[in-house]
Amino acid sequence: MRLSQVLNRQHIGFMFKKHWVVQGKRVPIDSGVEDILKAKGIKVEDALEFVKEEPIQQERINIVGPYEPSPPLDENHPEYKTRPCFTLKSTNVLLEGISQAQVLTKTVIAENKLPPKIEELAEVPAPAAVHENIKKAILSANVFDCEQEKLPKIKDKDRPAYNFPRILGITDKRRNQILTNRLLQLVEKTSDSEVTQSKYVVNDVESHTVFDKEDELIQFQDVSHILVTSNKPVVHDLDKDVTFKDIPDLYPVKHTVTLPPEHFYSETSKYPIRPSVSVRHPHTTWLHYNNTEVKNIYETPVRQDQILGRSLTHAFTVASAYAKQIHGEDVKDLPEPIYINCIQTDGQKYHFGVLELNTLNVDGSEGTKNVWYSKNDLKLYDSSRYFGGMPVLENYNNKVYGYINALYNC
Amino acid sequence: MYLNRVHRTFPKLKKIITRPQSQAALAEQNEYTETPEYPPILDMSLKARKLREREALYQKIKEINTVEEKQLALNMPRYYGWKCVMLNETQIPYNAMPLVQYYTRSHFIPVDKLPDYYNETDEAANVVVQEIKALVEEAIVIENEGIDRDFPVTNESPIETQKENALAKSIVKQINRIITNNLTDKLDHILSSQVDIDPRHEAFWFVGGVDPPLEVQYWRKQYKWLRNTINDPIDRPVQYIGTPMLTLRGKLPLKPIIPYSEAENPEFKVPQFTHRPKTAGYFEKHRHGTNIPGYWPGDFDEFGLISYHGRGHIRKEARQQSFGEQDNLEALHCQALKASFGWLLAQANYQGFTTYNDLIYPLVTQTVITNGQLWSLYAYQLNTIEMHNDKFDSNPKNNVCFGTKPLKLYDTIENGKVQGLNEDVLKMLVKFYLNTPEERDHAMKPYLGKEEQVVADIEDDNRRSWLESRYKHLVSNRPKHLLLPEVYLWEKIYKIKFNTRFFEAKRRPFEKDINPFNRRLDDHLPPYIPKVLRQYPKSRKKFETTYYPKV
Repeated sequence: MRLSQVLNRQHIGFMFKKHWVVQGKRVPIDSGVEDILKAKGIKVEDALEFVKEEPIQQERINIVGPYEPSPPLDENHPEYKTRPCFTLKSTNVLLEGISQAQVLTKTVIAENKLPPKIEELAEVPAPAAVHENIKKAILSANVFDCEQEKLPKIKDKDRPAYNFPRILGITDKRRNQILTNRLLQLVEKTSDSEVTQSKYVVNDVESHTVFDKEDELIQFQDVSHILVTSNKPVVHDLDKDVTFKDIPDLYPVKHTVTLPPEHFYSETSKYPIRPSVSVRHPHTTWLHYNNTEVKNIYETPVRQDQILGRSLTHAFTVASAYAKQIHGEDVKDLPEPIYINCIQTDGQKYHFGVLELNTLNVDGSEGTKNVWYSKNDLKLYDSSRYFGGMPVLENYNNKVYGYINALYNC
Repeated sequence: MYLNRVHRTFPKLKKIITRPQSQAALAEQNEYTETPEYPPILDMSLKARKLREREALYQKIKEINTVEEKQLALNMPRYYGWKCVMLNETQIPYNAMPLVQYYTRSHFIPVDKLPDYYNETDEAANVVVQEIKALVEEAIVIENEGIDRDFPVTNESPIETQKENALAKSIVKQINRIITNNLTDKLDHILSSQVDIDPRHEAFWFVGGVDPPLEVQYWRKQYKWLRNTINDPIDRPVQYIGTPMLTLRGKLPLKPIIPYSEAENPEFKVPQFTHRPKTAGYFEKHRHGTNIPGYWPGDFDEFGLISYHGRGHIRKEARQQSFGEQDNLEALHCQALKASFGWLLAQANYQGFTTYNDLIYPLVTQTVITNGQLWSLYAYQLNTIEMHNDKFDSNPKNNVCFGTKPLKLYDTIENGKVQGLNEDVLKMLVKFYLNTPEERDHAMKPYLGKEEQVVADIEDDNRRSWLESRYKHLVSNRPKHLLLPEVYLWEKIYKIKFNTRFFEAKRRPFEKDINPFNRRLDDHLPPYIPKVLRQYPKSRKKFETTYYPKV
């Protein structure tokens, strides 16, 4: 703006700007009194020197917040250790998926095979009323639940900068929570009361296990979204003539790849249920695969074999934490194998597994090994959503319930 | 002729311009009757005319076929949503009982044991309690001491409150599991019932007979024909929002606790609370009214059996200690009244009733408030939901709530054992589960269509999809794309209070005497159809069709 321009229009921006300038440059008016007094020989002193009070030195107040602030993550932290621990959390996946999980846990796999008793029980047909209730559960998890949260951003490969409207709906976490809990409730309702009374069900409990593998410290921290425990350890009779998939050689990849090293960890394992509880023996552990939470650390999408690897490491975490609670932290070969059933699901696909934990000595690939029986990729339904304003459930598969029931009742 | 030329350029004009020639009226044969038939004499006063307008609206809402459209219709008058009094489940100010009772029209009966209605299941409950007693004790011990876990906490409320609620939730889940597993073989309704964890409960209604706010009084003072109505009460939109820890719902409704005729019993009194809600500590918020009982319309199990709520907000960290014991007790009652009424009202809305069209049969629910050790049990019967300004004094019906004090389920946990388990409390809880729902011998959904009861039943694909997405968008209450209209502070100073800018063009709504909030929900431009997407061969339809209910 030219300086010569006359501001003959009132403008809110100019007004405030000018006002600020004028007020900011206020100059005290010199009344000439000082000169007169000086001429008369009277000493002039600043009145404020006498009026002003001494500034009060206040002590710093230590404000107690609504909660205890966590100590800073530095070398003085109580859990700081100089030796790094390679950590696998339930939100991370292994780069090589199931093969890496095999190496880490020293496990051989019986593919597409579950213990014979489970296969037998899975064949038993369930009454029609149960299937009706499962369909209701699927619909209420995918369609009728009223959660309206922001779902992940929709991206188009061909035009990645395009912003689609954000859709509100049921998050994968809640969908899985509703569906798995309903399924388990149904299984319990249709089981005998002796069976249900000997079991206990807890949600969202954490198991930690720490172990050495070839001079490196590794820890698994996992959450069982549902943990079914029983009053006696679960035991499976197993076929002898099973062909196992042996532990692969990962070369050139090292087995600790994509396990970020951490310096803040506890050196003891943790099984969530205390030894004083009679129904503490792990029976079945349910693991949710939430697409929005589980990520590769290198941003690539999660592959199918990585999801399967999650099942194995999860079952191993719970079983070994339990084994360490019974036999102590330094146990290597177990006197008796520990069995645990594992179900992983993203709501649609179900991966069933049974882990036979024989040893916690995971060095090398020789000697006693753990065994993982698994049956993967069973689809409960093809799609369930609002389609054109109508609730839809397509292709319900009634086989899946048989396996869930069998795992609970075995 | 001039007109003819115009017709060639605008062929459609012909249809619009009516022929100037007059037509002979048909002679009505039986124009005369024996006795004269006069049209009804209508009161033409302003009040009566307005009342007739409103009643026409109530009638229109009643005649709408589907649940979702009725909900849209309730929100039609307000584009930016109603200015609702927010009744939150866990925010209970001091001395809230009179307001809550008046707003939910509930008569509260404090009891020590459950009403006689539950007596018939007494023996069965005894048997069940003996069977599950040990299991419940074990579960309480395990949840309190046996599990090594950290509940996730946020900064929204005191940590102790959240931890208490989380522990209560896990205990409630266990007890619910034990009781349902025990009862599935004995009772049919337990097997098919659905368990919801943390469902979304919302309810919206109008309460009449409340003093008008100052703005309304000032507004009325402007017009001389409104001068004698300055202090007349007005309608208050009320919105309840709550999240129970766990609910059970089934296909059939529970039996009424007291006969429906008893609803008009003058002994059931509800205090009048006409003061502005702000005086009691309840505040207002702009939002669309929503009625959600934890599932969308169309679910099969639409009647509630039991809901469990937490009481962490009663703790000293969350609630002022100076409120005292008595007020804490009343706060629990308030929570139960709000939660029970809110859930039942939302269920009633899914049956086709709204705040303008009253229930014609009672609905019942059972509410439990607990922290794992202290249990308060409530049985609530919903008799009426019509309490808006035209009906608040003429509707004789009241809702009834029976409620106990907080009762201790056990005294302490010592050495891994529960000491002093109170079997009576457990028995009452079991009786809630033994209360079997029954089919009613009357129509449940008289105000819904025969073929179309929910939007999913509509045959027209476009209409169905549009209504479904519009309804979900409305009840999500997501913020609008554009900001809400507002009078900026500088405008208030330089334009409204002091007229310093008289020379500026008057473009703002308050300068043109327009209330921007006085806008209907359908008062917006529908989505534009780009030319390439318009129908072949030639379509002049520039905007997509909207299917708002016509009210």
